Amino acid sequence: MTDAIHIERLHYRVGKAFEIKNLDLRVPTGSIYGFLGPNGSGKTTTIRLILGLLRPLSGRITVLGDPMPEQHARILGRVGYVPEQPHLDATLTVRELIDFQAAFYPSWDRAQAEDLVDRFELDGDQLFGRLSKGQKAKLMILLALAQRGDLLVLDEPTDGLDPVVRRDILSALVTYVSERGATIFISSHLVHELERVCDWVAVMDDGRLITASPMEKLKHGTKRLVLSGVPREIGDPPFRMLSRESSNGAGESWVVGGWEPGMTAYIESLGASVRDVIDLDLEDGFVELLRSFRGRTPHP
Amino acid sequence: MAANCYTVPVHWNSEPSLFHGIDPRSPIPLYVQIADRVRLAIATGTLGSAAALPSVRQLAAELRINPATVIQAYKDLEAQGFVEIRHGAGTFVRELAPGRRARERSQQAVALVRKLVADARRSGVSLAELQRALETELGVKAT
Repeated sequence: MTDAIHIERLHYRVGKAFEIKNLDLRVPTGSIYGFLGPNGSGKTTTIRLILGLLRPLSGRITVLGDPMPEQHARILGRVGYVPEQPHLDATLTVRELIDFQAAFYPSWDRAQAEDLVDRFELDGDQLFGRLSKGQKAKLMILLALAQRGDLLVLDEPTDGLDPVVRRDILSALVTYVSERGATIFISSHLVHELERVCDWVAVMDDGRLITASPMEKLKHGTKRLVLSGVPREIGDPPFRMLSRESSNGAGESWVVGGWEPGMTAYIESLGASVRDVIDLDLEDGFVELLRSFRGRTPHP
Repeated sequence: MAANCYTVPVHWNSEPSLFHGIDPRSPIPLYVQIADRVRLAIATGTLGSAAALPSVRQLAAELRINPATVIQAYKDLEAQGFVEIRHGAGTFVRELAPGRRARERSQQAVALVRKLVADARRSGVSLAELQRALETELGVKAT
């Protein structure tokens, strides 16, 4: 199976302040891929590079099997995109915007668009500029879905929206995936939402990819270990040490990545004992990953 | 459009009680949680023989989870002999051998008690205290 998006050794820079360095990323076909990272980490820039809206200094981007930006016209016909900021003409009505968008895409699904107007409870005669934030977001999702693309690229589609709107949008996305088997690449801060829906997740910080892994693997591999009797010096552990703190008295608390149950043997070989192994959810894991990454590299 | 506001799209936003409280933050994978709920419903008779499970599409949209997660749960249930996936028709509860429901219920009971004991240990409650509390709660006379 090919990847819906394949990025190799990508390098991009604007001025001196920000760069994306040596980025490698594979988004498997059919996955719902969560793209996490704090503000300014390079998520939107990466998305714009994937869509050919920016040109990389070096590296290779392949989208749906074709090279980007060389084949951008061919690729973009099959990619639905929802940008971070609404980009539609405020003086057109919902219906006019749908008709306008439809004209660009031979694959446009009129019935799907009608169905979503009803489900999202949008008023066709309303001007875009008069819509609420939630209604705008719903319309943008509608336009991306009715295009019938094989890949949806969504840049923070539900951030800042109320829970009812978020629910409607996520349900529509999930339904689309069930029906079409499409790939969704979705960036967000809303960790709990991604935790629900995504089967892959990547974390970015400061223009670099910190981790990319199947969701279950990331969630299961990230643990807080409560230990006692740990010697000060330890060698190379078989897992990723994210943080190490001493807790009250002789105990220590470690946060580790890539943990497997058999690794307690390693800890015992140090002469220490494992008092507890605590599961972390995605948000805790995400925070610990960022903290460890920033602790290790100089941060501007 | 105004009339639209009065029709409640039931299939769109409601979470069926069977899957209420599925927790994506839990360390237990979502597909395991879903399969557990279905098994419990079968064990207690909430889902009888030949009952249809929600379609993959429907359940994924309702819970706002990845359709692949629902498929994984249903495949596991099929492998365990609880349901039958008829392609194009849906997923249905199978006729179970006598005693299977009861056996499943007692396995569920064991799982519940294990979780209780683990939680108690973690929060520093002794087993004797736990047992006393349990007996009081169940109305059994403590000696």
